[in-house]
Amino acid sequence: MATGAPAAAVVQLLLADSRLPVGAHTQSAGLEGALAAGMPVHDVPRYIDARLRTVTLVEASAAVLALTALAPADGTPAAGWPVDPDPARRLAAVDAAWHARSVSPALRENSRLLGRGLLRLAARLWPDASAVRAVRALGRPSRAVVLGAVGSAAGLAPADLATVLGYDDAQTVAAAALKLVPMDPVEATSWVLHAAPAIAGMAARAAAVRTPEDLPAAAAPLVEAWAEAHAEASARLFRS
Amino acid sequence: MTTDLVPTPTAAPTRAFRLGIAGPVGTGKSSLIALLCRELSAELALGVVTNDIYTDEDARFLRSAGVLDPQRIRAVETGACPHTAIRDDVTANLLAVEDLEADFAPLDMVLVESGGDNLTATFSPALVDAQIFVLDVAGGGDVARKGGPGIGRADLLVVNKTDLGPYVGVDVEQMVADASAARDGRPVIGLSRTDRPSIEALTGWLRGVLAGFRSGGHVAVDPGPMAPHFHADEDHPGGGYVHAHDDAGSHTHG
Repeated sequence: MATGAPAAAVVQLLLADSRLPVGAHTQSAGLEGALAAGMPVHDVPRYIDARLRTVTLVEASAAVLALTALAPADGTPAAGWPVDPDPARRLAAVDAAWHARSVSPALRENSRLLGRGLLRLAARLWPDASAVRAVRALGRPSRAVVLGAVGSAAGLAPADLATVLGYDDAQTVAAAALKLVPMDPVEATSWVLHAAPAIAGMAARAAAVRTPEDLPAAAAPLVEAWAEAHAEASARLFRS
Repeated sequence: MTTDLVPTPTAAPTRAFRLGIAGPVGTGKSSLIALLCRELSAELALGVVTNDIYTDEDARFLRSAGVLDPQRIRAVETGACPHTAIRDDVTANLLAVEDLEADFAPLDMVLVESGGDNLTATFSPALVDAQIFVLDVAGGGDVARKGGPGIGRADLLVVNKTDLGPYVGVDVEQMVADASAARDGRPVIGLSRTDRPSIEALTGWLRGVLAGFRSGGHVAVDPGPMAPHFHADEDHPGGGYVHAHDDAGSHTHG
């Protein structure tokens, strides 16, 4: 697989594309649980915004951290990183920091399942990339850490990777809304476009994170409580 | 970079044989799986993955049937995309199958039940090694003639609930004959849980396919996205035309 800018641009689009075969169709970014708990449909744009400021910021920051842990821009690990020559152990530190800031066991489990799907893809597309070999050594890494490794293998810039996570989260909510509470799809698409400033702001914050200590700890108690309830629901379209 | 995007069975497969069960809602897919578990669990180590569309009803039915350790039955959510989950993005199902294989190694066979949807849903060979398509006599004697990729080209077509034929006014022999004609000689089994020889025909077929898989001689076959079919068109000589979808993009289906 060629690396460099042309591949990076296509990989960025692939990661944002729900047709990428990583099981994205099983996801609603928590929307199904939120609606089941009584959140009104007119609150969905605010729901997207709240996620971008909390759980999505944490996930995107962890992805950026994994990316920079593997491929520091200037060739040397950022200040504040423990000196560890093993990239897998640096990724494990990122994964642990993400875990500590992800309150809901259901959301953590869902992230690790999505991480496996993505890892399955990455192991086939970049079998020789050192970043992919390092992340495979973790066993069941979070989606964020696998995305960081994919970003490293493809040569993505931190802000571009964080933008993908922000866009994907908003678009996952919008697409799931069309299954759960059908409406004119143009309206759902407009939610994503209107979230653009929030996505950009989130991506800028995430892209600036350089050490595990910097990783934001922004929890969203309702998102986490709804995720826990949804994991126990017997009638559901989406896994999470 | 590897181009081996679809796994090919090797001469000595170490993973379990994967069997898909597809077919419309209510034709008896879950009951067929329960029957296979009851008949085969003494001789084969089994696992089951269900793909319910809206609930985990099928997984709960199978767990309550008491035919298999409940831990060996897993449900996969499909996000209202039951076709996608078994055909174009099989990731969630593959992970569930791999989990079962890892947790209960060695398994002989994993049964994957599709979300009951309609006549067009078939499994990708990337997910299953072989697939059974299930119809039932109560759905109407003409369904087999309507065709579709599963009816036409699944590894086995089961016409289920043959004991109900007299009550729903369906000539079972005719329905099985129609199905056989639609399949160019591929196997069809008329099945009833009260008809012992039909159950033995089913388990006999399955043992034969499993033996082929184990010897490396079995090749997974895609039934195809669409069977050759007829388009009514008053302006066309003969009132329409029959075609297959080898010529991708020639027209759309409304």
